[in-house]
Amino acid sequence: MPVIELKNVNVTYRVLMNKSGSMKELFRDFLKRKARVVDYVALQDISFTVEAGEVVAILGRNGAGKSTLLKVLAGVLPPTKGTSKVKGKIAPMIELGAGFHLEMTGAENVIFYSALMGRDVKHVKERTPAIGEWAGVSDHMDFPLRTFSSGMVARLAFATATDEKADVLLVDEVLSVGDADFQNKSKARMHEMIKSGAAVVLVSHDMLAVRELATRAIWLEAGHVKMIGNPAEVVAAYEAT
Amino acid sequence: MKYAQLIRLLVARELTIRYKRSVIGIGWTLLNPMLTSFVLWVVFSFVFASRLPGTQQYAPYLMAGILLMTFFNQGVISSAESIASNGPVLTKIYVPPQIFPISTALAGLVNFFIGLIPLTIVCLISGQSIALTMPLVFIVGICLALLTAGIGLTLSILYIRFDDTRNIVNVLLMILMYFTPVFYPITILSQRLQEIIAYNPLTSYLDVFRWAFSNNATATLNDWLYMGTTSLISILIGTYVFKKYWPRTVAML
Repeated sequence: MPVIELKNVNVTYRVLMNKSGSMKELFRDFLKRKARVVDYVALQDISFTVEAGEVVAILGRNGAGKSTLLKVLAGVLPPTKGTSKVKGKIAPMIELGAGFHLEMTGAENVIFYSALMGRDVKHVKERTPAIGEWAGVSDHMDFPLRTFSSGMVARLAFATATDEKADVLLVDEVLSVGDADFQNKSKARMHEMIKSGAAVVLVSHDMLAVRELATRAIWLEAGHVKMIGNPAEVVAAYEAT
Repeated sequence: MKYAQLIRLLVARELTIRYKRSVIGIGWTLLNPMLTSFVLWVVFSFVFASRLPGTQQYAPYLMAGILLMTFFNQGVISSAESIASNGPVLTKIYVPPQIFPISTALAGLVNFFIGLIPLTIVCLISGQSIALTMPLVFIVGICLALLTAGIGLTLSILYIRFDDTRNIVNVLLMILMYFTPVFYPITILSQRLQEIIAYNPLTSYLDVFRWAFSNNATATLNDWLYMGTTSLISILIGTYVFKKYWPRTVAML
């Protein structure tokens, strides 16, 4: 049973030519018949499945559609055409700490972020001290987040996101969080989650990490799949261009 | 409901975050309407106080108007803003996006209910008693929350699509404020103007509120019906518009 199943997924953004950012401009352009709607195809006919325990790496240059694909997988962006099915709990580790608020304390942020991910608040409240400790920010948990260093914020976000088991991990270059010590710690935790049967989709420009972690690789170019298969082969082909 | 906990956290955050760095914190929620009312009272009481019919008192009349308008104005602005300001989250983690505008409207409702405490004090000081119909204020609050949430949902889509929406909305809200009998008694206006102002749904909300709380206005059955239908229509249109345009709008965040 695949955990992730994408069938002929297309995503088209509607873009207004001349980029009318305001109603005034839109109205003016409309009167002059200059406003034209153009469809920008971000993803074209993407189909693949991911089984539990698989680690799939997504490669591609900027603008190839990697972020759009992650948004579709996270369920945030509905496909224009086709279907995207993801089963179970998703832990999105994309720009960690996106739900954090600078005026709230570390502990409050942990609880809030967890609630955003659909976790049980009561349970998280009990876990908060442990999360703070794992992130190495125990003595800061009762202070507002604006007093944290950026490394501390990233560590706390990673610790929170990975505190509960998830069925699907969506990872966007987060392995580079914190100092070397913490990087090892977080890598170990990722391996643990993969071993426990989570499906992982990983977007990375770090080819070494892709070779090391991934069981399969997908190469995106201009919104469609250019190549899919064994990570070593795909990486080699990708790097050759 | 799965997201009840999140809504509670969002409402609490909305209520506390604004005053996080201040000494008296949430106490501002009590002080704010009192101070605003006091200033306006000093300015307008000479002009309008004697124009209210019967035993109606100007200070609670004014303050009730300010409480309700603050609820509406702030509710509309911040729930419309909520989607854009939570964009970074909404593009990464799946949560039903409607939760944000709705929580903001709910926070406005809580603020409104807290505001009833200073309103009670002002009522008693000015020698007016709280009416037995006071519990009906609860219905007014719910209706107003539905109205603001509905408008907020619609606007939140427009806010993302067009940068200048917020400027237009601010102006419209100000005009609306003058077309609502907040600080003047409606009877001082000409017959024609009174008719126009009666078309404003907020006039009905305000009449019902003032009447229910301390018998400080007259409310007819029509006011109740107008309040009920506008709130329902607003939330229905809001949820419909949001649902329809969200998939295309989220791509712009």
